[in-house]
Amino acid sequence: MIWLPMWLPLAANAVLAATGPTLVRVLPPRVGVRLLPTAMVVVAAGTGAVLASLGFLALALVPAVAAVGDWSPIALRATRPGPVPMEVAAGVAMLVLLGSAVRQILRAGHFLVRTHSACRSLGTHTYGLVVIADDVPDAYALPTLPGHLPGQAASGIGGRIVVSTALLRLLTAGERRVVLAHETAHLIGHHHLYVQLADLAAAANPLLRATARRVRLAVERDADEAAAAEVGDRRLVARTLARAGLARAAASPLRPDSGVALAATDTFVAQRAMALLSPAPRPRRILAAGLVLLVGVALLGTAAAAHQIDDNLDNAERAPAATASY
Amino acid sequence: MAMSTPSSPRGGRRPRGALEREILTCLAAADGPLTPSQVLVSLNGDLAYTTVMTTLSRLHDKGVLRRELVGRAYTYSLTADPEGAHSIAVAQRMRRLLETGGDRAGVLAHFIADLAPEDEQLLVDLIEDSRPAGRRDDDESPLTGPGAGHP
Repeated sequence: MIWLPMWLPLAANAVLAATGPTLVRVLPPRVGVRLLPTAMVVVAAGTGAVLASLGFLALALVPAVAAVGDWSPIALRATRPGPVPMEVAAGVAMLVLLGSAVRQILRAGHFLVRTHSACRSLGTHTYGLVVIADDVPDAYALPTLPGHLPGQAASGIGGRIVVSTALLRLLTAGERRVVLAHETAHLIGHHHLYVQLADLAAAANPLLRATARRVRLAVERDADEAAAAEVGDRRLVARTLARAGLARAAASPLRPDSGVALAATDTFVAQRAMALLSPAPRPRRILAAGLVLLVGVALLGTAAAAHQIDDNLDNAERAPAATASY
Repeated sequence: MAMSTPSSPRGGRRPRGALEREILTCLAAADGPLTPSQVLVSLNGDLAYTTVMTTLSRLHDKGVLRRELVGRAYTYSLTADPEGAHSIAVAQRMRRLLETGGDRAGVLAHFIADLAPEDEQLLVDLIEDSRPAGRRDDDESPLTGPGAGHP
């Protein structure tokens, strides 16, 4: 019973893994983009902390470790959250997941630095806009690291918007405004950070992978809704998506050899267009509150688990100071 | 910052720099230099003429636009040729960056990417359906035939 709080982060993790993809779909994108990655990181971290605690309890049974902490193995064995092999497995799992998370951080950091230097080498840009000569209709946002970029202040959007001449020629002025507003929304909303957080949580906890994939969709939806708000016409945004998507498909027929890259750049064009033709998303305050509650439970559980482990180790201490005072 | 953050009657306010970016893409898409009134027309006229003119001349002051007096009006074009050598070199560098798995790190946000084949028909239908809604907005280019007539 005293070990009950310890399982709360794991339970929260299971709930989030099961409901995450639906939550991202149902919540308004603006809320989902900000709330879910945060919840994912907290829950994944809580799960990691519990696994680490379990692993440590097993580790404390090793005589050499017990000697360092001056713990009595007999007292430690007396009250335990579960069987020792389970604790060992938890510890090992924690190390594997931690390694995966660190790898994800290094990978993202490496790429962010490369993007940053690419941005710097783009040279001529005005208000963050870079037009490139390219036959493939394309537009994307490149976030830059804060500061250290000449002319960055002038752009005011924290990155560069890259648009190909092929896309510009294809679209009407209203549609070009949609593309620019969409990419600006990505940069101003720091969408890359939320995607990074979700990917990090998924690396640290594979159960959250499906949710992380939906976060990418939510990010695109959020930028679409921002663009729709700016131009005041949801249908225009849907039409821009459809026309740009079809033009791109015509310009670059699917190449089977680059299947990995294609899968990675899935931007859910059809789903987004359909969503824009449906009524604007509803607030869904209760669902959002439920998600916040889940995060709270995970946090509380993690804190309680840490406290319980600490108590357990304290009780197992051979207490030489106490004996000496007699 | 400048005095103009014009808002459109049907839309919300433009964020800072948005009008400048729209004008730049408008000139990049055009076949030749444009006069302020041509820019205004291609931006669908939800802006005041003076706003467009002021913005164009400010962009010229910054050295982004080239200005020439043709007859009684100035015409504007991009200083950096979008089809020029620099632009092509940049495009190649960016493509290399994209092809080395950058999206796996979640750093880039594409407007569109390659479509699943089953999505194509859906989008074609969608364009057909949205035709009446699009009419009031902009009709300067045909709704289908992407890239048609471009070099």
